[in-house]
Amino acid sequence: MNPAFARYGDIPGLVILYGLFIVVLGFFVYRAYRLYGFLRLGGKEDRFDHLGKRTILFFIWVLGEWCTLRSVSRKDRAGIGHFIMFWTFILFFIHYGYLFTWGAWHDSRLFNLANPFSVIFLSVLDFLALLSIVAVVWALIRRYIRKPERLETNLEPAMILILVFLLMVTHLVGEALNVNLLRETSGSVIRVAFAHAFDGLSQSALTTSYIIIWWVHLLIFLGFMVYIPYSKHLHILTALFNVFFRSVRPKGALIPINIETADRLGVEKIEEFNWKQLLDLYACAECGRCQVSCPAFLSGKALSPQELIKNLRIHLIEKGMSKGKPTLQLIGDTISEEKIWDCLTCYACQEQCPVCNEHIDKIMELRRNLVMVRNKIPETAERALRTTMMRGDPWTGALHLRTDWSEGQKIKKLSKAEHGEILYWVGCTGALDERSMKMTLAFAQLMIQASISFGILGAEESCCGDPARRMGQELIFQAQVQRNIETLKRYHVKKIVTICPHCYNTLRNEYPQFGGEFEVVHHTEFVAALITGGKLSPSIGVKKKVTYHDPCYLGRYHGIYKAPRAILSSIPELQFVEMKGNKRESFCCGGGGGHMWLEENTGKRVNVMRTEEAIETGADIVVTACPFCLQMFEDGIRKKHLQESIEVMDITELLQKAI
Amino acid sequence: MESNREILVCGEVADGKMTTTTRELLSMGRRLGDGLHQSLNALVIGKDLQEVAKEAILFGADKVYSVDSASLLEFHPDYYTTIMGKVCQQIVPSIILLGQTDMGRDVAPRLAAKLGIPVTLDCTELNIDPVTKEILQTKPVYGGNAMAVWVTESNQPQIVTMRPRSVMADEPDPSRKGEIIAFSVRIDDSLMKSKLLETVKEEVKGIRLEEAKVIVSGGGGIGSSDGFKLLGELAKALGGTIGVTRVPCDEGWMSVNLEIGQTGHIVGPDLYIAVGISGASQHMAGCSSSKFIVAINRDPEAHIFKEADFGVVGDYRDVLPALIFRLKELA
Amino acid sequence: MHTIICAKEVPNPEIPPGKFKIDPEAMRAIPPEGIAPVMNPYDERAVELALRLKEKYGGKITVLSLGSPASVSGVKHALSMGADEGVVLADHGFEGSDSFGTAYILTRAIQKIGNYDLILCGRQAADWDEGLVGSIIAENLSLPLVTLVKAIEVVDGRLKVDRVTLDGYQTFSVPMPAIATVSNEVGRPRLPAGWGIISAARKQVPIWSGRDIDADPSKMGAGVARRKLAQLFIPERKSKCEVLQGETTADAAIKLAERLRESGVV
Repeated sequence: MNPAFARYGDIPGLVILYGLFIVVLGFFVYRAYRLYGFLRLGGKEDRFDHLGKRTILFFIWVLGEWCTLRSVSRKDRAGIGHFIMFWTFILFFIHYGYLFTWGAWHDSRLFNLANPFSVIFLSVLDFLALLSIVAVVWALIRRYIRKPERLETNLEPAMILILVFLLMVTHLVGEALNVNLLRETSGSVIRVAFAHAFDGLSQSALTTSYIIIWWVHLLIFLGFMVYIPYSKHLHILTALFNVFFRSVRPKGALIPINIETADRLGVEKIEEFNWKQLLDLYACAECGRCQVSCPAFLSGKALSPQELIKNLRIHLIEKGMSKGKPTLQLIGDTISEEKIWDCLTCYACQEQCPVCNEHIDKIMELRRNLVMVRNKIPETAERALRTTMMRGDPWTGALHLRTDWSEGQKIKKLSKAEHGEILYWVGCTGALDERSMKMTLAFAQLMIQASISFGILGAEESCCGDPARRMGQELIFQAQVQRNIETLKRYHVKKIVTICPHCYNTLRNEYPQFGGEFEVVHHTEFVAALITGGKLSPSIGVKKKVTYHDPCYLGRYHGIYKAPRAILSSIPELQFVEMKGNKRESFCCGGGGGHMWLEENTGKRVNVMRTEEAIETGADIVVTACPFCLQMFEDGIRKKHLQESIEVMDITELLQKAI
Repeated sequence: MESNREILVCGEVADGKMTTTTRELLSMGRRLGDGLHQSLNALVIGKDLQEVAKEAILFGADKVYSVDSASLLEFHPDYYTTIMGKVCQQIVPSIILLGQTDMGRDVAPRLAAKLGIPVTLDCTELNIDPVTKEILQTKPVYGGNAMAVWVTESNQPQIVTMRPRSVMADEPDPSRKGEIIAFSVRIDDSLMKSKLLETVKEEVKGIRLEEAKVIVSGGGGIGSSDGFKLLGELAKALGGTIGVTRVPCDEGWMSVNLEIGQTGHIVGPDLYIAVGISGASQHMAGCSSSKFIVAINRDPEAHIFKEADFGVVGDYRDVLPALIFRLKELA
Repeated sequence: MHTIICAKEVPNPEIPPGKFKIDPEAMRAIPPEGIAPVMNPYDERAVELALRLKEKYGGKITVLSLGSPASVSGVKHALSMGADEGVVLADHGFEGSDSFGTAYILTRAIQKIGNYDLILCGRQAADWDEGLVGSIIAENLSLPLVTLVKAIEVVDGRLKVDRVTLDGYQTFSVPMPAIATVSNEVGRPRLPAGWGIISAARKQVPIWSGRDIDADPSKMGAGVARRKLAQLFIPERKSKCEVLQGETTADAAIKLAERLRESGVV
């Protein structure tokens, strides 16, 4: 029977049904419309490119629930629960869809029993509902009793979980009652089984109970529907779009500013973000994964990526609703300057985010405004920018010239003729920092040994611009880019190998934004290829225990995990052990995002935290593949006074020992 | 303007006495005078100059021109320029010597412009060319990275300022005799283009850098204003005082009044301990006349080790406590 | 108020110590390859001081640079910091001028620009460290002069100027127009911000020749200089530093104390 057909007093059930539905829909649509309106305050952004790629990713991430399944591990199995609840919701969505259209006028179940699909559908529906009950109970216990770090224990998640629980329970109870009413003996096994619980009830009791449960279930559902756009559960709609419109740019390429046409530098007001950046704010499900993987947050700094997104959302909605009346300042009130500087651009947050939020872009835009419009920049960073402007490198007080490391070595300058020579791009740190110079030389020596024809730019190399861009000074960055592209084109450069993952990222992913297209390889990839190609054969055993630190700009940004490990495994007698946070979950050394030139004034030092992880492995040598990481570990080990027991080496320095 | 073949030293007075720099200038002037067969005269400006004038004679001056007035107690560039200008126009010296001091570096260029004669500031050496008898003026350039030797066309009056401590002052000769000539210049407000409102002397605790026998100096390597406490302890243990390079001043860790360098204090202690200092020329310009230089720096390649007599490579936070401890033991 | 700044381009003084090289024949420094000249750091502080005055009292800043056509980049740097206009003075007839010649050329240019309240120069140039040009311009234009300035305020239509001394400072009151030479105690010059860089890139910097400023050739150029550079050399460093070693840094420190005692230094 269909309770919608009954009459309640003088009012037909259908009127109540549709009446309620329209009211709720009204609330929902009104709120959704307002939220959409706030989105439209944002600027333009083309996310309609690569439609094929987007569709495929959408299927895998959403329908395949890869968004949360990918982070399932021994410690965190929430992805499984989410998978269950997602598909439960999809099926119930179809179920309700039917209910409010065809089902309102006919049998209140999707298909009748005669249709074989209905059995399958209803069985799956009930099974998922049952699983969902288990998942919800598990989720409640986990969140409120076990209390894992990344989950908040406030009221909103509890409300959502309880609502889902009640929905599932009323569904199963209702359908069980209905089975008895209709006297069905076959069909969905679960409801038939539950029906036995109500065997003793009379027909009228069954009918009354069923009608009550049916309406209760409906009301809970409708209530839930209104609640969605007022809670984090909005993500069930917005995340779909957010995942579809995700970034398909290379991860490390920040958005360029067009100097000719720019009417703003960075973002000062919330509406200066583009619509996709604002959509992120709605898509956030407050899962906390970004926060518990953020090195700034974990080291006690003010910044929390989760709080950032949440506060921006609150600010957007407040501003949208204020209708022109003065509201809080974005920079200063909603997000403090300190937080804007805390970000290391390590990408851990974005890597973990199941709804494809882009935290880094937002922080970068705010930083740009701080630096280029308000001129508020910490002194040490300002000095680095100044020296970049005046001398072409960020290392104020450097005691070396770019040509020093190669003096007396058989290393030649790149020739201008088109010889197909590979350019060895050294980078500022590799050329000017005492410790890093050893790494620079080691790689050069390996290439010489492998008879690779390469050249350097020597004094004509100028900072790739990564520090300037990450510090928010887009203009100094672009000046550096123009200068370098001009030099590279003058030398007819086609292929570049570099030892620095930051130079690697900028030359490979950001220079094309300005007309500089080059084939760029990182030295780990290059060396791994030399080994597999037989040009380098590590034969001397190195009887040490080593661990490897995945640099953020090499690992998370470019997925280069295998090459360095392949190099290490080619060294005889070497014992390798992974750190607690490795590959995708590598913990930043503390040097990215301009932080080589920023002081840490609160909390624990990021590099010391990572050094502690390395020390925990019991390794004799910490191996890395980035000049920033190299310095950060050297400093970390000195701070722990363990210079005598642990060494830090670049992977090429270690490999040299084996050749 | 053809010179009258006399050398004029423009002296400075502090606390009623002639400054050390003026003594150095007189010694230099005496050498030049002897080498060029010219007399050496001095000009002193200030109030109650009797003793100073006598002192100048003992240090080598033949004549002392004294411009004595209450309004001249404090240095004012417009007054001094006018007075020196009038004196020079009258006696037409061949060489006018001043110290590269607050007064000298301000007045010498003005005087040169006023008289239209050549000037070289901040000389560390003055030599007489044996053939041409021209004065070879050696001064640091490029922030002290190099030395330039300038030569002025002869028979031309010229002005030279000498860097303090670049010349050793001779001993006074109590038997010397000379003439003190009171020079009167009308001093009134019309001379003054700029009005001096106040002179502020910032409190310098303890020994003056120029007089200290031991200086413990800190640079960028100290890292914070707190770090200077250790240096203070070392200075105390040795009976000395603290100095700084440009970096701690720019960073705001220490007062700019303690800055030693090309644009700060020029010092010549018996012992100069450079802690966390890289050794850039701009700073070395201020301390190179120290008798002994000790360098303490984390970086073994730091340039300071090329300038020092003794050195220890290490973090000052490790080095200084041990150093202080052992020095106290040995004392 | 209209401030004119006299700026000069010099080889970048921020190079590693020990890397400084000269050409003893040509008698000038050879900057390391790839390191471009910069605005004299003291002149940059003059720009900074002028910007502070502009922020407080409004007005205009004009930057003058005597050099070569390449000096435009230095002027653009000042424009991107916030100066309003810039002019480069370049002419063969200017070359080889000493401080008197330089001051004369700048004086002619200042007179052509006219209408100024304040002229600012750096106290000395980081290459030749002469420290004369500002004072000679003051004499040429008969302007009140304060040297080694670290701060300026406008009080009752006059300038209140702080001059740095060895152990403190002096405060002068000076009528406008006036000239001041600026010392590093002014503080760090600001980094050019975003819009400054963009608008500076769009500005034109004219290059004036001797004719444009009506300069008398008998008052400038190499022939008129009354001093000659006889020699330029790098002084020898005594590198006989005794580095004390020890098992630990503390050991080395102890040895140092003993060594100092032995040598009679303490």
